[in-house]
Amino acid sequence: MKVTLAMKPAAKSFVPIEAESIVPKSFLAGTEYSVWRGNRELRLDEIFTITVEGHAERAEEVEVVLSGDETSRLKRVGEYMDAGKITVLGGIGMHCGNFMSGGTIEIHGNADGWLGREMTGGTIICRGDAADYCASGYRGGRKGMKGGSVEVFGNAGDFLAEHIAGGTVVVHGSAGDMAGVEMHGGTLVVHGDCSRPAANMKEGSCYVYGTAHGMLPTFRKVGTVQHEGRTLTHFTGDLANRGKGNLFVKDYEYLD
Amino acid sequence: MSELLVKNARVIDPLRGINAEVMDIAIRDGKIVEEVSGAAEVIDARGMLTMPGGVDSHTHICGTKVNFGRYMSPEDMRAGRTPRRGPMHATSGYSVPTTYANSYRYSVMGYTTLLEGAMAPLEARHTHEEFTYTPLQDTMANTLFDGNWGIMEAIRDGDTKRVAAIIGWTLRAVKGFGVKLTNPGGTEAWQWGQNVSCIRDPVPYFEVTPAEIIRSVVEANELLGLPHSVHLHCNNLGTPGNYTCTLGSFGLIPDLNKKRQTLYATHVQFHAYGGSGWKDFCSKSEPIANFVNMRPQIVMDMGQVMFGRTTTMTADGPMEFNLYRLHHDKWSNHDVELETGSGIIPVVYRRKNLVNSIMWAIGLELALLTKSPWQCLLTTDNPNGAPFVKYPEIAALLMSKRYRDAEFATVHPDTESRVPLPAIDRELDWYEIAVMTRAGAAKALGIQDLGKGHLAPGADADVAIYPILIDEVDPSVDYRKVIEALSQTEYTIKRGRVVARRGECVVDGSNATFWVKPKISDAYDMGKDPDFIEKFDRYYTVRMRNYPVQEEYLNRNRCIETEAGI
Repeated sequence: MKVTLAMKPAAKSFVPIEAESIVPKSFLAGTEYSVWRGNRELRLDEIFTITVEGHAERAEEVEVVLSGDETSRLKRVGEYMDAGKITVLGGIGMHCGNFMSGGTIEIHGNADGWLGREMTGGTIICRGDAADYCASGYRGGRKGMKGGSVEVFGNAGDFLAEHIAGGTVVVHGSAGDMAGVEMHGGTLVVHGDCSRPAANMKEGSCYVYGTAHGMLPTFRKVGTVQHEGRTLTHFTGDLANRGKGNLFVKDYEYLD
Repeated sequence: MSELLVKNARVIDPLRGINAEVMDIAIRDGKIVEEVSGAAEVIDARGMLTMPGGVDSHTHICGTKVNFGRYMSPEDMRAGRTPRRGPMHATSGYSVPTTYANSYRYSVMGYTTLLEGAMAPLEARHTHEEFTYTPLQDTMANTLFDGNWGIMEAIRDGDTKRVAAIIGWTLRAVKGFGVKLTNPGGTEAWQWGQNVSCIRDPVPYFEVTPAEIIRSVVEANELLGLPHSVHLHCNNLGTPGNYTCTLGSFGLIPDLNKKRQTLYATHVQFHAYGGSGWKDFCSKSEPIANFVNMRPQIVMDMGQVMFGRTTTMTADGPMEFNLYRLHHDKWSNHDVELETGSGIIPVVYRRKNLVNSIMWAIGLELALLTKSPWQCLLTTDNPNGAPFVKYPEIAALLMSKRYRDAEFATVHPDTESRVPLPAIDRELDWYEIAVMTRAGAAKALGIQDLGKGHLAPGADADVAIYPILIDEVDPSVDYRKVIEALSQTEYTIKRGRVVARRGECVVDGSNATFWVKPKISDAYDMGKDPDFIEKFDRYYTVRMRNYPVQEEYLNRNRCIETEAGI
């Protein structure tokens, strides 16, 4: 079953739309859902032109396609998603794929903050950039992403994969500050540069194929390793918190 | 004029010595009266256990540190979510819920009066603001004086009257109810990265010892004629072998008040530890309970630990730092200038953990080994030992040896050799539970004369009616029914109105806050004392005139004026 949600052109509005009801399994029982815009509850068909093609018995067989110019106003799309597919033909708002445990979300534009926050499984592919706190935990939380994978083809913002405890995050561009901070496990790969990677890490592996700016002095240098055709410098740490994680960087520079 | 008649209730009212008599309770305009007219609304409580509204003599529900517990644990706020329903606001949180959640959950359990255990004077406004949004219980706040510079200097100078004057001025300014000492001296030492190990260690820079602070503040408390005694969280909390320190502190206390205890020792479970380290950690509930049995001047509360996750929060900053070093989880630490401090960490108490299992046993032992239930009150020091929603389970554990044994079979196997619990056969009855959860608490807080904790004519009409027929249910066998009944009242009546019915809160409510205003002579008015004013100007970040909490902050305000002997 393919459900196409084409966002109707609306009068210019900056009010985000809370759309946690947009998950594949919802559509097995029809399209009678509501979303919230500010304090107003709106039916799905007030925001979208809905087209349903085919039929599905299980959530795995459902694909939801979001299109329109303002898809980046939609928040919490795919929250608690466990199967199926969501394709976004544009950008997406904050908290896309929160707590996701299965299925696939593919975003053809940019994703706003907290993409895949605290996800435990499934796959997120972002063709554009991801903003801050991609694949991270939440304010004061103990664990970020615990499983699944996030792949970002553009750049990622600050606090990428904060508190990550499992799963894989790959960023093909650069990441911002504090990538992999408080890492407990899992794997983080940044193809470009980032600053202060893996601060206070306990376990897990962080790879930086570019330059680690502001490299923390609390990591112990072990030597060099060969990794997928690259020569990387291997550090362990973060010693400041008795950490036993591994940080591999192509180049690094300490703060003066 | 509103009238209400509760008919055929099976009443337990320990402050009047009423034990399971069938009675009618007449209520007019929020007070208990002798009788009401025929036009009164009638509630038929046929045979149901009916007691005065519950009084929690030590809980942490409002104020800056509670709020900090909320925002450092978003995962806790995800639990216990309920949507808005009728007059009930949306709620969330488990161990540190929102103010409304606290109020509703307490109300559903039949609690109508709560004492916030620790309010930093400088941050009192926040506590009072949150009280406003705890609508279904009357509230009062113990005020922290453990590391107060002015008080420690007065103690060093041997001037107990000045100690009393500072306490009196501050309580009046911040609308506090009682005096709380948390790790006296230790929290101040912690601001310098240190601690005190027991009552004879000097507090750095102040040349006083915790023993001097305790003794002097206890005397000052009586000089001021305060309704409640000093509320003490002893030094050295949570350390193996600390029971000697606890006994030492208890030994300092003279018997100064005929009406009530002279010392309220709080969460004594955390202070009844034997052993020299975690390896030989064991229960020392017996010497503590024996000591309390011989000292009518001391009342304690259990500080029962229950298994599961919770958040610990206390003004005892150094203790929380030590806990943080054990757990390596989240930690928050706070210094309140010139007054006190605090620390917060989330914890999980586990059955498979030997130390946690022993802690669980000690709380129960204290309650079972203390002969008079008036001297050991039922609390968890919410949320430090467990969230207060565990109270029904604790009552059931105290009432049923069979339940204790069943639970004991699930804890760490080595617990048996470290605690006396399995050998204790005592099972408390309903009367004793009523003492530990309302009458005793009201008496210890000194609020029975203000109409709390009993159902005599003239008292506040705070009544809890539980759906259990105590003639038919044997608590030692049917402990599940006890838990069920105590978890959800049939009716909770607050100030003459039904506020909760079978798990639902049915009105908005509006609480009252009790605070004290000791009458102090001009010679001891700290507001006019040049040294005190100068200290204020020099060290506080607020001006003295901005420091007092305005009465507008108190919703309904019940000021207790006392005659101070200074």
